[in-house]
Amino acid sequence: MIDVFLSGPDRLLPYLLVAAALFSLGVVSVASRRNAVGYLMGIELMLNAANLDFVAYGRFRGPEPAAEAQVAALFVIALAAAEAAVALALVYAVFRNFRDVDLDKIRTLNGD
Amino acid sequence: MATLLFWPVAALALAGAAGAALARNLVYAALSLGACLIGVAGLYLFLQAEYVAVIQMIVYVGGILILILFGVMFSRDVLGVSSRPTWGGRVLAAATGAVALACTVRLAVLVPGLRGTGLAEIRSSVDSWTGQISTSSPFHLGTLLLDGWLVPFLVLGVLLTVVLVAALGLVRKDAA
Repeated sequence: MIDVFLSGPDRLLPYLLVAAALFSLGVVSVASRRNAVGYLMGIELMLNAANLDFVAYGRFRGPEPAAEAQVAALFVIALAAAEAAVALALVYAVFRNFRDVDLDKIRTLNGD
Repeated sequence: MATLLFWPVAALALAGAAGAALARNLVYAALSLGACLIGVAGLYLFLQAEYVAVIQMIVYVGGILILILFGVMFSRDVLGVSSRPTWGGRVLAAATGAVALACTVRLAVLVPGLRGTGLAEIRSSVDSWTGQISTSSPFHLGTLLLDGWLVPFLVLGVLLTVVLVAALGLVRKDAA
């Protein structure tokens, strides 16, 4: 285990451990936040963890898989941007109807 | 040198993620998320994915983080005083987080045991592989994008258009 910490960036395992911690913190954030924007931050954390795994596995597989993994990571980043735009538009619409973005207080479907 | 720099960068990513998940004040949480995203961009540099690192800085730190900070302003309770997680919520969050951490770490350590998935060969052959990747230049990525990934690329373009129009429709003044 010690040699993993001494070798650093040339091994696969450190990246996987960092990504595992990022993903778990994203899960914690999604499960505990009552604010819609905090919830969104948890989702971004999980997407980043998955992306890091993609690029790390590709990098340690060889040149061709590395390029493929990076293209996949670019797709995920573009999708995350689209998701953030729609989520913020939803937050804005919810705020206009409820004057609040607390997920526990939003209980009706038609806004009345 | 790279080894000396690696763990501080990883620690920046982890500390930023911890702040984003646990900080009570939403503005601090959003700024911690920015630190985490910068740390992940640094990890991409260690993985010789320079183009992905640059795009991460431009799209995530320059775009999504600003959108999130904008969204924080719609919260009436930025300091998180009245929207503290309930105790049930905290226990649930800790439990699900612990389960996720256990599963992902176990998977990361046990990958060599996954015979027949292709992952075992990665771990056994390249556990300490340090060669240069010469094919990950932006030129090569662009060729790949317009060659094998052309259909997903076009679908993504359509999706982004739909998303823009839908977001505009959601925030229209006369929308219900």
